[in-house]
Amino acid sequence: MNYPYGKAAFLLLLIAIVSGSAHTYFSLGRQVERPDLVMAIFAPNHEEAYREVLGEFEREHGVKVQLQLVSQRALQSRLQSSLLTGADVPDLVELIGGSMGYFSRGPLEDVGFVDMTDRLHQEGIYSRMVESRFSLWSSRGRIFALPHDLHPVALCYRRDLIKELGIDVSSLKTWADFVAMGQSVVRDMDGDGNPDRYALDAPLNNTAINILLLQRGQQLFNENGEVVFDTELTAQTIAWYINQTFGAKRIGYEAGWGQGLTKAMNDGLVLFYFCPDWRTKQFEMDMPNQKGQLALMPLPAWEAGGRRTSSWGGTGLAITKASRKQDLAWKLAKFLYIKKEDLSSRFEGTNIIPPLKEAWEMPAFDKPDPFYGGQAIGRLYTDLAKETPPSYVSPYSNLAGTKLTEVFLDGVEYIKSRGEEGLEESILNNLKVKADYVREVLNRNVFLRKTKVGGS
Amino acid sequence: MKAGKKGPLAPWLFLGPYLVLTGIFFIYPFLNSIWLSFHQTNGPRSSVYVGLSNFAFVLGDPAFFTAVKNTTIYTIVSVTVQLPLSLGLAMLLNSGKGRVRNVFRLILFSPHLVGQIFVGILFAVIFTPRYGLFNIGLQELIAWGLEERWLANPSLVMPALIVVSMWMYVGFNMIYFLAALQNVDQGLLDAARVDGASSWQTFWHVTLPQIKPVAIFVVVMSTIGSYQLFELPYALLGGNGPNNSGLTIVGYLYSTAFETGDLGTGAAIGWLLALIIFVISTIQIKIARVE
Amino acid sequence: MNTIHIFLLILAGIYFALRWGLPRGEQKATVYLRYLLLSMAAALILSPFVWLVCAVFKDKDVLMQYTFLPPLSQWSLDTINLDNFVALFSGEDTVEGKVYFWEYVINSLFLASASTTISLFFASMGGYALAKYQFNGRKAIMAFMVGSMMFPGMLFLAPVYKMIFSFGWMDTYLALLVPGACSVFGMFLFRQALMGVPDSLIEAARIDGANELYIYLRIVMPLVRPMTGAFCLITFLGNWNSFIGPQVFIQTQSKLPLPVVLNQYIGVYTQQYGVFLAGTLIAIIPPAVLFFSLQKEFVAGLTSGAVKG
Repeated sequence: MNYPYGKAAFLLLLIAIVSGSAHTYFSLGRQVERPDLVMAIFAPNHEEAYREVLGEFEREHGVKVQLQLVSQRALQSRLQSSLLTGADVPDLVELIGGSMGYFSRGPLEDVGFVDMTDRLHQEGIYSRMVESRFSLWSSRGRIFALPHDLHPVALCYRRDLIKELGIDVSSLKTWADFVAMGQSVVRDMDGDGNPDRYALDAPLNNTAINILLLQRGQQLFNENGEVVFDTELTAQTIAWYINQTFGAKRIGYEAGWGQGLTKAMNDGLVLFYFCPDWRTKQFEMDMPNQKGQLALMPLPAWEAGGRRTSSWGGTGLAITKASRKQDLAWKLAKFLYIKKEDLSSRFEGTNIIPPLKEAWEMPAFDKPDPFYGGQAIGRLYTDLAKETPPSYVSPYSNLAGTKLTEVFLDGVEYIKSRGEEGLEESILNNLKVKADYVREVLNRNVFLRKTKVGGS
Repeated sequence: MKAGKKGPLAPWLFLGPYLVLTGIFFIYPFLNSIWLSFHQTNGPRSSVYVGLSNFAFVLGDPAFFTAVKNTTIYTIVSVTVQLPLSLGLAMLLNSGKGRVRNVFRLILFSPHLVGQIFVGILFAVIFTPRYGLFNIGLQELIAWGLEERWLANPSLVMPALIVVSMWMYVGFNMIYFLAALQNVDQGLLDAARVDGASSWQTFWHVTLPQIKPVAIFVVVMSTIGSYQLFELPYALLGGNGPNNSGLTIVGYLYSTAFETGDLGTGAAIGWLLALIIFVISTIQIKIARVE
Repeated sequence: MNTIHIFLLILAGIYFALRWGLPRGEQKATVYLRYLLLSMAAALILSPFVWLVCAVFKDKDVLMQYTFLPPLSQWSLDTINLDNFVALFSGEDTVEGKVYFWEYVINSLFLASASTTISLFFASMGGYALAKYQFNGRKAIMAFMVGSMMFPGMLFLAPVYKMIFSFGWMDTYLALLVPGACSVFGMFLFRQALMGVPDSLIEAARIDGANELYIYLRIVMPLVRPMTGAFCLITFLGNWNSFIGPQVFIQTQSKLPLPVVLNQYIGVYTQQYGVFLAGTLIAIIPPAVLFFSLQKEFVAGLTSGAVKG
């Protein structure tokens, strides 16, 4: 057969026709009726949990609810685009912590989500939750999403290895105690010049630094959205962290995520890991062979009697202003987030503790967890939960985080070339420069313009 | 259309689809982006005219200069290291014939079949410190590199990016060069050999001038493409890399426009990039014409 | 010194042996060297693929434990299995019921082949106009085309999004097929190739009474078959791997093409690398098959077009 335009063109035309027909055939087989409410979620375990209880809500109200599972990055970009153009948006959206900053970068009236502040106070929900958590979902004093969680942070460790090394974790009350312990266990065991045992999993970016700063009550932005991270406390914390990761007596190593993390945990390369409640389930799923070997302890405090936890991550539920059934959506939000029986069974499935204080009385939180060797991790986290620090967001949170990482990396360069002398001071100066930069960018936002460069 | 006559209408009808599509999907966004670059916006309702402030900010932003520096270094290395490598491989392949050559050609070209997103994530795993393929391989070969954190150490990010991009594109450019080499006049080559020229002289004086058009084409295309690099570092580093070491100009645009939400400044960045590319391409073409 | 170093030394040794040991050794040694270098380049290029294939069959718990494959003594269902493929093909629950992997493959096939076919049509038409007609504005259009290539696509994402929404094309394939339907790069390629078609042929056809469309379709285009092949393959590849467009414009899970779907396996909190890599492996197959079978056309096409720069 002669191909006047070449084999390739012919083949492609054929493929297009065949696949197009197949695709159409399958799409026709998928007719879905228009639901009353559409809710977009990015976490598969949340979606499973909601799906289980959704039937009850649908029956009670005689409506149909559609749950859409969307990957987080896609959800973020889609929401951004659709809110920008007024395109089709779901009625409810589960947002990732920190993103509320982006959505509230314009005038308050322009925030694409329903302002829940009044409803929360009038219906008494506000006081039933851990109040500091609302900070993650607020802008200029108005609350735009219902918090799903608190994510208090603990330390997870290999119980067996710790016992072998004769360490008593209850004696690790402060970071000073921890560092002393750490320095004694770091060792090069196979003589290749690289230590094979480290005490602390230390990411080489601002993740752990944020956790530690929040633990100390140091925010990046205050509740007015002003830049506040250029303080001595921040400088001291970053200097401490740099010493632990690149100093002469370092105890930290970046175990990473995924496969690298699994190997590090299995090999005992790193002993202690920052572990919020959601990570406990992740460890359980990714490393089933560690069953019974892991345990949790609160974070060491910075001073005796200080806060022994922090917060890492978060999810919240927002209702879009474009929704035509906002009251129904609000009912669904309450149904999913404020029923303590559901919350307790959800905890069993995800290990995530809810911010609703009365739910913590449920027995599920005292259940010993076999993966963690019988430790009642629910109770551990609820005990820590009351101290969860607030976490204020801004459209420039990501930028501030990047700048913090830059300060960290600059500090690493400093310690490598000039040692520990003067490290903290150089960090403080660098912080001021970077904070001023963030202030400058913030000031360019004509909708938020408020602060002056050079300090709030 | 008049039958049998080369009416003045015909070319315009043939160009019709292009003109219509461009008019709708290029001209309008083009104009809109100009408008955007002079405003600060938040959604369809709020917008404020800010004059040149977006441009002023970008030109004073250290992040922009990092982006320009990174992108420029990447482009220069791509052109000066990658292209000769492609040419070299093409020359090696050129002398071969038949099946064997086709197999090698396919193998060397194959990385191009994988999309940037996939390559980025694949190599993110390959660059895992201590356990990843790259570090282990490097350690075996030259007894160094096991612990190097290619994606977390700011000074190693650019080399890592270049390694990946070389893997992806060396074979692609090689095909262009191969095609060009096959069109080199064999007679001239033979004449040169008869005249006693060494292989280097033959290459420099006979082969190179003959493949010049293709070489220029590849260089200019490579430059323009390199300046627009975005998906690869974004997928490889999961963002812009530590200390913005993997930040490219388009990456900076993306961060500003879609992560911070400042479309106006994003548009300003886009225009500055277009300007940079225009200037550099023009210079390149002028140099090529002069030679 | 380890096995690899010894191996390299042996290879070098063979070169010298050939060069000095055999009559006309220099020539043979050069040929040997050429294939040696090519093989080394090929090995370097192939190693990530080899790793990919091994990784796909390794159980996720041992992915990082063995560089390629576990030693034979360790082979068991715990280390080598098809779990990744099972997960990939078992289908995802979505609001519309289960969606299976091969549906995504079909989506990708359709999107890539349809957009390439449309592109082929428009780009070759445009290239023909630029190659074979003299008309006012031709230079201007070409200058405009070159200029348009210097703009990053990202710059236009937001306004294009608004337009797509206002046309009602959100979540449809129209949003992906229409905007990019005419590639400037393609028009240049076809212009190059079509300039090589003798004008006399076209004139003769006109004299015979053929209209312009007929000339284009039946006389001119078949003559640039190689370039058509090359263009089809390059464009297909680009569309097959296209990510940002589908990510932004398609919202229904069952309509997504492969790059977006596979990217979902690498999430913020959980990453299923094994499944992702399995999907990547499968995603490489269609383009690879196309290229392998149409290699000659592809190279011939590039030869005819790009060479004249």
